[in-house]
Amino acid sequence: MLTPEERPPIFKSWNTWYILVALALALQIVLFIYFTKYFS
Amino acid sequence: MSYFDWAILVITLAGIIFYGIYKSRTTRNLDGYFLSNREMPWYMVLFSVMGTQASAITFLSAPGQAYTDGMRFVQYYFGLPLAMIVVCISFVPIFRNAKFYTAYEFLEKRFDLKTRTLTSFLFLLQRGLSTGISIYAPAIILSSLLGWNIYWTNIFMGGLLIIYTALGGARSVAYTQQLQIVIIFASMFMAGYLVVKYLPEGVGFFDALKVGGAMGKTNVITTGIKPDGGFDWRDKYNLLSGIIGGFFLALSYFGTDQSQVGRYLTARSLRESRMGLLMNGLVKVPMQFLILLLGVLIFAFYQYHNAPLFFNQSEISKVHNSPYGDSLRSVQQAYDRVDEQKKELMQSLVVQKGDISAADKARLAAINYQRDSLRTVFKSIIAKPEVGGDSNDANYIFLRFVLDYLPKGLIGLLIAVIFISSWGSIAAALNSLASTTIVDIHKKFINKNMDEKADYAASRWYTVAWGIFCIIVAQFAYNLGNSLIEAVNILGSLFYGVILGVFLIAFFAKPVKGTAVFLSALLGECVVLTLFLLNEHNIIDLGFLWLNAVGAIVVFSLGWLLQLTFLNRKPFSARI
Repeated sequence: MLTPEERPPIFKSWNTWYILVALALALQIVLFIYFTKYFS
Repeated sequence: MSYFDWAILVITLAGIIFYGIYKSRTTRNLDGYFLSNREMPWYMVLFSVMGTQASAITFLSAPGQAYTDGMRFVQYYFGLPLAMIVVCISFVPIFRNAKFYTAYEFLEKRFDLKTRTLTSFLFLLQRGLSTGISIYAPAIILSSLLGWNIYWTNIFMGGLLIIYTALGGARSVAYTQQLQIVIIFASMFMAGYLVVKYLPEGVGFFDALKVGGAMGKTNVITTGIKPDGGFDWRDKYNLLSGIIGGFFLALSYFGTDQSQVGRYLTARSLRESRMGLLMNGLVKVPMQFLILLLGVLIFAFYQYHNAPLFFNQSEISKVHNSPYGDSLRSVQQAYDRVDEQKKELMQSLVVQKGDISAADKARLAAINYQRDSLRTVFKSIIAKPEVGGDSNDANYIFLRFVLDYLPKGLIGLLIAVIFISSWGSIAAALNSLASTTIVDIHKKFINKNMDEKADYAASRWYTVAWGIFCIIVAQFAYNLGNSLIEAVNILGSLFYGVILGVFLIAFFAKPVKGTAVFLSALLGECVVLTLFLLNEHNIIDLGFLWLNAVGAIVVFSLGWLLQLTFLNRKPFSARI
């Protein structure tokens, strides 16, 4: 059980934050692939 | 530089120093001096972590990197967000809950004193030397461009920050880093805005990117696959090396390097530490992307304007005064002719508007190929023993643009940015070197019974001593050759993997004990150094980023192997 000081902000679990960071990276890579193709 | 630029430079630097001194009031013990009494909110941790990682070279070198090699360097950071997740799950709770000052304290608790001492020694060696090079790298660039004396530039670059770092410890470091990051990004955005503003009428931001893209500068994603189909292991920046090699590098850096561990241990709770690191995982890649984008915009700018044959003017003067002066003149004349052809072609493109046709792309590529060939000829002249110059001008591209085109005042501000971005990372390095020395060495081997007052006084002196050591290293760094940024990265890669391997065993291999991990760390370091030397002599092909992964995997595997084969046997008496 997490103490109030350990609870993450916004989401209920830290795992949601970890997934968000990983998904943000995946999204950035997809956008970069599009950027590379669009301008080259 | 004009008097106005000098005034801006002096005011900005003095402001940072006084702000650091103003924020230096802290509790006079180790907790206050090294960890800010563990009271920082997450956004201060974020600024501090970013300010520690981003040195002057980040802002000088990255735009030049994009100008010469395109934007693929951003892939180097793809492993960082994933490493942030692992650090938040495995490293931060252990370091915080045990109230450690340094990461290496944990190794004594988990293994033994010899493993802790070996790892902290490897850290001190690597961080002390690389901080010296981090002082020298921007100092030599400023010295070459502005004609300043290199020894004094080194002393100013590495010396002034010692005042607030020694006085206020981690608290001063964190508050000045916050201010530094704000100034740095405001200045970089202003520079980016002006590059676009100075493009010819009718040419906008997207047109500039199209020009950069036509010349292969918007290559953010590359696969590292060779034309014959195999994977290029020597290729430094591609998707795979960025995610895997970059992950191990970032995991070592944020999980085991005290200069970063010391930043997130200043947070007031586990939540604040984690949020600071996760936010860093969210913003780091876009931040590097924007800095590289600035390089592409500068590249596009120089397609419409005359680009120098070589961006470091002091090296051109060297060639002028050498037996190759006539060769320089003929190369310069040929280059000027090609540069004029390029400008004419670009003017016609402005008139045509719309997308660049395939035929125009081919013409532009041919002209740029000729320009690059002439630059290569000139670089080969610079590299000749009679000239003895630095043939790499990538680090000078952004500052050359700043000095030639930006208005008065902004030049002084951007020179100040070089100083303060250096100070952010050097201050954190000095703070971590002092904390490791006092906690892992001094209080273990020299004086075990020090009171709070003595701890505090010794910590300040160690900060000053490491500052002086790093400046001395900087004064001798010219012996390292031309590729200083790479020297810092390679130096890190020689040790990071092994240190990470020790921590990975500590977290994920419970049966492995102290002697096994100590021996595997020594053997792992030998393997990494051997691979590095084989690569240097072209016997194998291995980009330096892979050394991080190899070091960690070798130490982890050897630790298990030694424990299970030689060290797991029960004593003879126990078997009877």
